[in-house]
Amino acid sequence: MAEGDKKKVAKKAHCSRNPVLARGIGRYSRTAMYARRAMYKRKTKTTETKIEKKMKVKTPSTITKTVGGDKNGGTRVVKIRKMPRYYPTEDVPHKLKNHGKKPFSQHKRNLRATITPGTVLVLLTGRHRGKVRSHTDSFVTQSPSCFLHPLGPLALNRVPLRRAHQKFVIATATKVDISGMKIPKTLSDAYFKKKRLRRPRHQEGEIFDTEKEKYQLTVQRKEDQKAVDSQLLPLIKKVPQLKGYLRSSFCLSNGVYPHKLVF
Amino acid sequence: MTGLLCKAIFAGYKRGLRNQREHTALLKVEGVYTREEVDFYLGKRCAYVYKAKKNTVTPGGKPNKTRVIWGKVMRAHGNSGMVRAKFSSNLPAKAMGHRCRIFYPTLPDLNYTANP
Repeated sequence: MAEGDKKKVAKKAHCSRNPVLARGIGRYSRTAMYARRAMYKRKTKTTETKIEKKMKVKTPSTITKTVGGDKNGGTRVVKIRKMPRYYPTEDVPHKLKNHGKKPFSQHKRNLRATITPGTVLVLLTGRHRGKVRSHTDSFVTQSPSCFLHPLGPLALNRVPLRRAHQKFVIATATKVDISGMKIPKTLSDAYFKKKRLRRPRHQEGEIFDTEKEKYQLTVQRKEDQKAVDSQLLPLIKKVPQLKGYLRSSFCLSNGVYPHKLVF
Repeated sequence: MTGLLCKAIFAGYKRGLRNQREHTALLKVEGVYTREEVDFYLGKRCAYVYKAKKNTVTPGGKPNKTRVIWGKVMRAHGNSGMVRAKFSSNLPAKAMGHRCRIFYPTLPDLNYTANP
């Protein structure tokens, strides 16, 4: 017991002190857990004093708005939370709210521990399957999807700046040290997202005339590619044989079984 | 395309001695001969590829005569590396003894901790 400790030391959280007997059932009762966790020592909230209560700002229940139009100039008092303007004849039971069911966009995304910035990845799907490329990160944690940002570099294996999904990628143990690299800020999920090419609305006589827009290589992409590549290439050249490695493709051949490979 | 896929043979349907259940196929994966090795392939996509007379649409290419039945490796079967797979429609019996392909998604890493 660190009695001399006046400061609050951030203690490491203990694992659960309640061993699990079966899912959802712990070994100890609620009161037993109270004692085990020493909650009697941890009561922090004292009752609110009257002054504190007064200091708490109440959200106003009404608002005063100015009147325009005919009766201009005056003010009227408007309730912020209005009475419902419709009451159903029968009482409909409320649906229970879902607990913790998030829409897909808010799902937690985990990234595989083996994928770190600078890891060399093998792409498994898409045009560039089999290609070996190095991976930059910084957006990975930010991006709400689990997309990665691998780079070619373009000069070595013709793989441009593109997103890849971590599921469709093998992370190898090879790493390039890219801590010194600066990545243009523009690269983000939105930047890489496929542009939905909207067909023009149906017009008279032009129903079959939809122009399917092809993907146009924008100047910005080229510049970004160059900016990133130029930083990446010298780093790669430092590592012996890495250049050749990145140029080659990953391939399984006779007698080579992926479950036996060490990546 | 052998570059990135694993070869397997469709060995038969899941069966007891006298009845077979065609909804689950048994695949023998090349190179996998123990149950521990099978772990790698669980959850992987597999495909039975075959040819037919008429041209059909191919995603990303011109219509050609190749067709696919897609499936998934479900679980191990037995101790010697066989695998059970379920396909979107049951495999045709003529496919027995023929090639099935197994591939992505992820070939998992050893320190795989995530739930994508």
